[in-house]
Amino acid sequence: MMDLLRQVHERNLVRWAKDKPEVVVFSGDLTGSTEIRAFRDAYPGRFFSLGMAEQNMMSWAGGMAREGYSPFIHTFAVFLYRRALDQIEMSIAYPNLRVRMFGFLPGITTPGGVSHQAIDDIAVLRGLPNMTILETGDATDVESVLDTAHGIDGPVYVRMIRKEIPRLFPSDQPMELNKVRRIREGTDVTVITSGICTEEAMRAAAALESRGLSVEHLHATTIKPFSDPQVVESCARAKYGVVTLENHNVMGGLGTSVAELMAEHGIGKRLVKLGLFDTYAHGASREYLMKEYHLDALSLVERLEELTEERFGISEEELTAVRVSDFNSEGQLEAL
Amino acid sequence: MDEQDRETLTAKAQDIRITTIRSIGASGGGHIGGSMSIVEVLTILYYRYMQVDSQNPGKSDRDRLVVSKGHAGPTLYSILADLGFFSEDWLQTLNQGGTNLPSHCDKNRTPGIDMSTGSLGQGLSAAVGMALGLRLDQLSSRVFALIGDGESHEGQIWEAAMSASHFKLSNLIAFTDYNKLALDGCVDEVMSLNDITSKWVSFGWHTQRVDGHSFDQLERAIDKALAEPCRPSMIVLDTIKGKGCSFAEGKVESHKMSFTSKEAEKAVSQLTGKEGE
Repeated sequence: MMDLLRQVHERNLVRWAKDKPEVVVFSGDLTGSTEIRAFRDAYPGRFFSLGMAEQNMMSWAGGMAREGYSPFIHTFAVFLYRRALDQIEMSIAYPNLRVRMFGFLPGITTPGGVSHQAIDDIAVLRGLPNMTILETGDATDVESVLDTAHGIDGPVYVRMIRKEIPRLFPSDQPMELNKVRRIREGTDVTVITSGICTEEAMRAAAALESRGLSVEHLHATTIKPFSDPQVVESCARAKYGVVTLENHNVMGGLGTSVAELMAEHGIGKRLVKLGLFDTYAHGASREYLMKEYHLDALSLVERLEELTEERFGISEEELTAVRVSDFNSEGQLEAL
Repeated sequence: MDEQDRETLTAKAQDIRITTIRSIGASGGGHIGGSMSIVEVLTILYYRYMQVDSQNPGKSDRDRLVVSKGHAGPTLYSILADLGFFSEDWLQTLNQGGTNLPSHCDKNRTPGIDMSTGSLGQGLSAAVGMALGLRLDQLSSRVFALIGDGESHEGQIWEAAMSASHFKLSNLIAFTDYNKLALDGCVDEVMSLNDITSKWVSFGWHTQRVDGHSFDQLERAIDKALAEPCRPSMIVLDTIKGKGCSFAEGKVESHKMSFTSKEAEKAVSQLTGKEGE
């Protein structure tokens, strides 16, 4: 069945960093909230509490990276790219230093309201030369993003998920840089998703498939660079067109990346971008916000109905039921 | 400091000042004011204290310098060229097409530059990070950092101040170039710093205030700072913006001025007392 795991990063980081003395962890007074308590306790000599002073933290990290360390900065995403953007650009990105920024609370994953919801982080950071952007959507992504990020000789921004998260992909299939995960093969539509939206789309795709729609579902873990030939081929093949679904503003995120790639390759297919439609969100539960802003499985079904001009008769109850049952078999897991 | 050392350093500072005036003049002008006020401190650091190797600029056990007031790059370039980090010809290319010497310090382009700076307030934080890195590596190298008084308006300076003393980074020695002038006018009119020395004391730094153009005072202060066992050190330097460059000295407009090589030569003549020869 689809496992739900708790505090994956908390445990994994300790294990992963054991034999990597160059990895140092910075906290901006959010140690518990960013799952680095266990790291702090295991390696107190490599853990640095820098207080609520993010501008200083970014430039510090640049200085330490200059000395050969790999600072792993942990804080909420908004306090990275909004509050300290100039520091990210001048102390990290331009000098092209090996700093890894773990931005928590992407999009509407927090009820904390606009001040805590990073809805434009990708749009802002993808414009920075030298910057790599990775996004996690399940436990395997969260685990394997460390190796992926660590292998990059320059700055990396990671959209991190936390607390209770699903395992959608087998733990022995790590994410790969600039390579999408093909979750489902199909030819009618290509659905490209990232982050927490992937699990929604998996349920929608399973239901649609049962109604005869052939869905190709791709999960993107690298948002920048974004040039995987698999995406190009898939978009070119899709009979009705392409739909993207992301936990981010539709401007400047995954959908925009797909649009650029399609245009660059002369793929004249329709593209429907789902996400926050040029709006700030607000404080409410994740489920509520996903419905309100059309980031959920049912919204995806409805948009595919518009795109294909068909009616699939899929109810919200059916999609919710899939959440529990569809991933119950080992066979399904392997197919993922 | 004995007479001979003082004379040697004074002569070196004079050379650096002249080279810097000419270098900025060759590009039609630049940040002359803040480049002149730091000549003595950079001279004593590089010619008396800092362990660096021009043939191996990235040597791990070198002493580091972060010029957080990055616009004062030209003075540093004059010294690095003199020490052989790169050809003195480069000094004539400041800010021009294809140059490796932009007016703001750039570690990607210039050998001997430890950190890219220019966006004020960031260099001190980077220096603090470097000092921590050196301590973790158990290297006895020191990190020197130079900030401006106008730069001290930036909140990040005080975030860095707090963090360096929190981590007891005694291998960090910072200087404030207190030349009392910012771009718009007197620092205290733009935004008052009040008692700058007390601020650093209250942030937990070993703090001194000296005449930034006196080698004797600089030497005593740096020696004391190096002997400080468990706190970062701040040495506030009373300086004169534009010091030694006749058309810039003490002038608000000296932050960034246009001037020609001819005007530069005139200033050099006045400085060397050979005007009209």
